[in-house]
Amino acid sequence: MLQYFIRRLLFAVPTFFGCTIIVFFIVNLAPGGPYEQQVQALKAGSGFGIGSEASGTAKDGAATIPPTALAELKRYYGFDKPVYVRYLIWLGLWPRETDSYNVKLGEPRNVGEGRYVIVNQQQDGTYSIIDKDTKESQTHVWTAENAVLDSTGFRQLRVFKTEYAGILTGHFGNSYEYREPVIDLIASRIPISLQFGVIGLVLSYVICVYLGIQKALRHGSTFDLVSSSTILISYSIPGWALGLLLLVLLGGGSFFDVFPLGGLQSREYESLSLGEKILDRAHHFVLPVIASTIQSFATLTLLMKNSLLENLSQDYIRTAFAKGLKEKRIIWLHAMRNSVIPIAANIGHIIGIAFVGSFFIETTFNIEGIGKLSYYAILSRDYTVVFAFTVIGVMVNLFGAIISDFVLALIDPRIRFR
Amino acid sequence: MSQTVQKSGSRSIGQRRWQKFKTIKRGYYSLVILTTMYILSFLLPVLVNDKALMVRYNGEYHFPAFTSLVASFPVIDQFVSVFQSGESLGQLGNPGQVRYRDLQKQYENENGDNIVIMPLYPYGPIEDITTDGNSAFMEPLVSEEGQPARLMGTDENGRDVFARMAYGFKVSISFALILVFLEYLIGIPIGGLLGFKGGYYDLIGQRILEMWATLPTLFLIIIVVSFIQPSFILLVLLLSLTAWIPITTYIRAEFYREKSKDYVAAAISIGVPTWKIMFKHILPNSLVPIITNFPFAVVAGITALVALDFLGFGLPPPTPSWGQMLSTGLQNLTKWWLVFSPMAALFATLIMIVFIGEAIREAFDPKTFSRLR
Repeated sequence: MLQYFIRRLLFAVPTFFGCTIIVFFIVNLAPGGPYEQQVQALKAGSGFGIGSEASGTAKDGAATIPPTALAELKRYYGFDKPVYVRYLIWLGLWPRETDSYNVKLGEPRNVGEGRYVIVNQQQDGTYSIIDKDTKESQTHVWTAENAVLDSTGFRQLRVFKTEYAGILTGHFGNSYEYREPVIDLIASRIPISLQFGVIGLVLSYVICVYLGIQKALRHGSTFDLVSSSTILISYSIPGWALGLLLLVLLGGGSFFDVFPLGGLQSREYESLSLGEKILDRAHHFVLPVIASTIQSFATLTLLMKNSLLENLSQDYIRTAFAKGLKEKRIIWLHAMRNSVIPIAANIGHIIGIAFVGSFFIETTFNIEGIGKLSYYAILSRDYTVVFAFTVIGVMVNLFGAIISDFVLALIDPRIRFR
Repeated sequence: MSQTVQKSGSRSIGQRRWQKFKTIKRGYYSLVILTTMYILSFLLPVLVNDKALMVRYNGEYHFPAFTSLVASFPVIDQFVSVFQSGESLGQLGNPGQVRYRDLQKQYENENGDNIVIMPLYPYGPIEDITTDGNSAFMEPLVSEEGQPARLMGTDENGRDVFARMAYGFKVSISFALILVFLEYLIGIPIGGLLGFKGGYYDLIGQRILEMWATLPTLFLIIIVVSFIQPSFILLVLLLSLTAWIPITTYIRAEFYREKSKDYVAAAISIGVPTWKIMFKHILPNSLVPIITNFPFAVVAGITALVALDFLGFGLPPPTPSWGQMLSTGLQNLTKWWLVFSPMAALFATLIMIVFIGEAIREAFDPKTFSRLR
C-alpha cells in the first residue's frame, strides 16, 4: 500500500517536468511575448519604461530604439538566453542574473548599498573585480562579462550577481504586469476564489447527498423521474452560460432586479455592520455559487443514488432486514456508511476548486479571483504568472488524484492498491 | 410461423439495444429531432438567407440562394462566387452586392414582369449595419418600415440574431462531430495499443497520457490563437490535441480486460497478426464505452467551442457562433434577446444530446437493482 503511494508520487515527478517543459516551450516560443510587446510599445512612442536606463534613451528616439536599449530589454526579460537555459533558470537549476550594472574598465561603479567595485582586465583576458574600499576580490559575488550588444560591434562591460532561484527553491519571480511577487499576487486572490468555491462545494454536497438518498429510496417514483430530468438538464448546461442567463433575468437590466450584476460586495461594504456585511456577501454570492456548482450536481447526485441503490441490494442489507432491524436504521447506519465512500473520494478535487477557480464564472460575474488573474495573465503574456499557474494546475491535478486514492484507501478497508 | 419465431429469437445484441433505445422516448425523439434539424441546417442558405431564391429580371432567371447553398460547402466555396452587382439586376446606383429585399419592393412598385422570391426568412447571418434596413439593437418582432419582422431582433452590428442562431447550430454541431471523430481517430489506436501491449508500453504511455491530460489546454489554445488567425480546422485540431485522452482511457481499460479472454488467446495461437487481433477481434467487443461516450463527447465539443468563442478566441468573425453571441449579450445585458436566443438554442441542443446519451447508456447498460421493500 505504502509502496503504491510512493510509486505514485515518484511517477508524478516526470509528469511534472514533462508538462512544465511543454508549456514553457510553447509559451516562450510563441511570438508576441512580453519582450516583443515592450518593443512594440517603445516603437509606438508610448515608452512605458522598465525602470532601467534603457527606457530613458528609447523615449527620446521614439521610432528607432538604440540597440543597447533593445539588448537591455532582452536581458531584462531573460530573452538573451536560449529557451532551455531559461527553463533551467526558471526551475532554479541554472544561475539567474540578479543585479546587473554596466561598468567601465578601471572606474569605480556603485553597485548599491554604498559599495563600489572596480573591474580590471587581467593579462589572461579574465576580469578582476575588487571592492573599492576593502580592496578584496569580489569575484565570488560578482561576475563580469563582456557583453556583445549589437552587430556593429558595440561592446559594453557589465557585472552581475547570480543566484540559483527558481520554482524548485520557491522563487516564482515577479509579475511583469503588476510588478509584485507572483506568490503575493496569487495569495491575495486565493481567499476570494476559496470563499465561493468552498460555499458552493459544501452546498452541492449537502444537496446532492440528500437528493441522491431520496432518489434511491424512491427509485422509479414520479419524484425520481422528475428530478432525474431536472438533473440531466442542469448537467447539459455550462455553468457560466447559466450564470449569464441568470444575470439577464435577475441582475436588473431587463427583467427583475433581485441580485447584483457582479463583483463581491457593494460599494458601501466598508461602512456596513458585520451582520450586514455577511448578508451583502451572501447576496453577491448567490448567482456565482449557483453557476459554479450546477454542473457537478448531476454527477454527484447520481453517484450517491447509484451507490446507495447498489448497497441496498447487497446481502448484508438483506441480513439486517432479516434480523428485524428498523428500515431507517438499516438505511442510515448500514447502507449509508458504505454508500458515501465514492462521494468522499472526491475530496481530492476540493483542492483543485480552491486553487484553480473558474475563470468563466469569474469573468461572467466580474469577480477578481484566481481564475480571472490567470486568464488576464495569459492575455497580457505575464509569463511568470502563467508559469506559476501552470505549476499550481499540474500539482493540483497530480496530487488531487493521489489524495483521492489515499482517502479512498483510508475509509474503505476493502480497497487495496497495488 | 416458425420463421417469425426464429427471426425474433436471433436478434443480434445491436438490434436488441436499438429496440431498447427506441422505447426510451425522450432519447429517441431527441435523436430524430436533432438529426432532422442537422440535415435541414445544410439547407439553411435556401431557408434563411438575404439572397433571393429566384430573381427574374428582363426574362433572365437567377438563383442566388442556391449559389450560396453550393458555396456553403468547404472547398467548393473557393470556386463559386455569390457576388451579383445591384446594377446588373436593375438596382440603379448600387454597384456593390445586390440588396434583394429592396429589389423585391422595387420590382413590385414597377409592376413589371420582374419577380424576386425571397427565402422563408429573408435575413442573412452576416449582413450587418452597412446594408440598409439593418440597424443595431432592434427588438424582437420589430423591423424597419415595410420589411418582414425579425424574429429575434438584431445585435450591436445590426446582424439578424435569428439567422445567426440558426447558422450557429450548423457550425456548432459540425464542429463537435468533426472534433469527436478526430478524438476517436487518435484515442482508439493509442488506447488499444496501451491496453493490448501492457507492460512498459503501458507504464510509459500512461505517464505521457497523464502529462498530456494535465496540460492547460485552454491557455495554450488562447496563446496559439493570439498569433495564428484561428480557422474552423485549426480550432478543431487544437482542441483534438488533448480531447482524445478520455477515449484512450476507456479503450485502454476495455482492451486490457478483453485481451485476457479465450478468443484472443485462440487468435494469437493461430498466428493472427497483432493489428488484426486488435481491430478485428477486440475492437468490436470494446465498442460499448465508445458509443455511450459519443453524445457526451459531442456535448463537450459544443461547450468547448462556445466557451472559446465566448472569450473571443474562437472562430474568426463574422462567422455566426453562439459563443460570440453570448459574449455580445454579456456586454449588453439590457438587450435581453441577445442572450436569450443563443442560450435557448445552446440549451435545447445540449439537453437533447444529453437525453440521447442517457438513452444510449440505458440501452447498452441496463442497470436493474433488486431491492427489498
